[in-house]
Amino acid sequence: MRRAEALGTGALVLALGFCGTGAWTYAQARGDEELAFSRERDTALAEGRSRLTVLNTLDASTRERAEAGIRAWRDASTGPLRTELGRTRPTVGASARATVTEAALTALDARAGTAKLIATVRVDVTPRGAAAATTDRKRLEAVLTRTGENTWRVAALSAVPVAAAEKGGKTEKGEEGGDE
Amino acid sequence: MTRLPRTARREDTGADEAPEAGAGAATEPSEGPAKAGTDGGAAAATDQDTTRASGTDEHGTADEDGATDEDGTTDEDGTTDEDEAMDEDGTADESRRRRPAGAWRKAAPVAAATVLLLGGAGFHHAAHQLRSAPSARNHALTDTGATTRVSGDVAEGLARVFSYTPADTDAAERSSRTVLAGRAARQYGDLLAQVRTNLVEQRITLSTQAVRTGVIELDGDSARLLVFLDQTSRRDRAAATTAAAQLTVTAEYRGDRWLIVDIKAR
Repeated sequence: MRRAEALGTGALVLALGFCGTGAWTYAQARGDEELAFSRERDTALAEGRSRLTVLNTLDASTRERAEAGIRAWRDASTGPLRTELGRTRPTVGASARATVTEAALTALDARAGTAKLIATVRVDVTPRGAAAATTDRKRLEAVLTRTGENTWRVAALSAVPVAAAEKGGKTEKGEEGGDE
Repeated sequence: MTRLPRTARREDTGADEAPEAGAGAATEPSEGPAKAGTDGGAAAATDQDTTRASGTDEHGTADEDGATDEDGTTDEDGTTDEDEAMDEDGTADESRRRRPAGAWRKAAPVAAATVLLLGGAGFHHAAHQLRSAPSARNHALTDTGATTRVSGDVAEGLARVFSYTPADTDAAERSSRTVLAGRAARQYGDLLAQVRTNLVEQRITLSTQAVRTGVIELDGDSARLLVFLDQTSRRDRAAATTAAAQLTVTAEYRGDRWLIVDIKAR
């Protein structure tokens, strides 16, 4: 009886220890800054990709759709870009559909909630009434700002210009967010 | 349940008493049903013998019927049986009352240990999930040293192999051996073989510069990057033209530097 009791107590202590180390390990992993930073990076990248897709896409086949598209732009943006897009008037014209082909973060400040992202985007532009689309490739740089838990929005967006000045003007046009 | 040990006991005593009882009763039937009517019968018979010696003769004759007789005796036995059973029940009740407490005392630590073990396993598992998640294995930007290193090596490598003068295409090819490997090296070899004659004839100079480099993935010895390049080409004395190029580069750390093993245009 004594033996069994001692054995039982020993088993309990062991189980308690196991549970304790488990909790401690979990707490460590949970509070690990590097892991938190990794999660933040992946969230920012994924959010940035989807925001850029929205910002380079516009269905302008009708006025209502163009309006909805611009509302989506405003929802995907924040700060100066949002203000800038707010001035855009919906018009019927060429439509664009964007696909982010590759994206990477070049900087991330998890504490401040800011990130820089570069991305290559393929944009299929369909002129009004036309069936065939022309494909355009862009390289963009965006500044992301965290606006809430796991929510990042685009605060600034620009095309990365080629060094030579004569081509700069053309790529600069893509800055507006693919409404061309 | 309570009957079994009792009949067994009775059998024992019956066996002990058997010579006496057998002599007292002197009936062959007592032997008959005792053997034919199984152990229970034997127990009943001996019971009868001891409790009511006078009635044994009658019963002895009726014993041939067996079953009914046994029933009768067991009924009569029933009263005493119950008393004894009550006694036994009483003790059984106590032990039953004691047993839940004892069972609890035994079960509680087992349950606690089980809960603790399950909890511990859950915690360990959750921690492992956190640490082995894809985001945790990717060290892009989290390991700033390695991120800077791979960015620098790849940017510098691309600039070197995609910059050449007509007089010195060999230099580009030579440097490609220290920068490229695998599929990228083969691709580059094919490309250079195709354009080499043109390069020399048209006196084309190409200079390449990486303007943006972003590390998408960095896991140990392999990495994937997105690189924006500006390529300025000059044909003899004509004005230079600059074109943009976007590449996804796969790099591997070999020896002491990152080598480009695959290049894809974006």
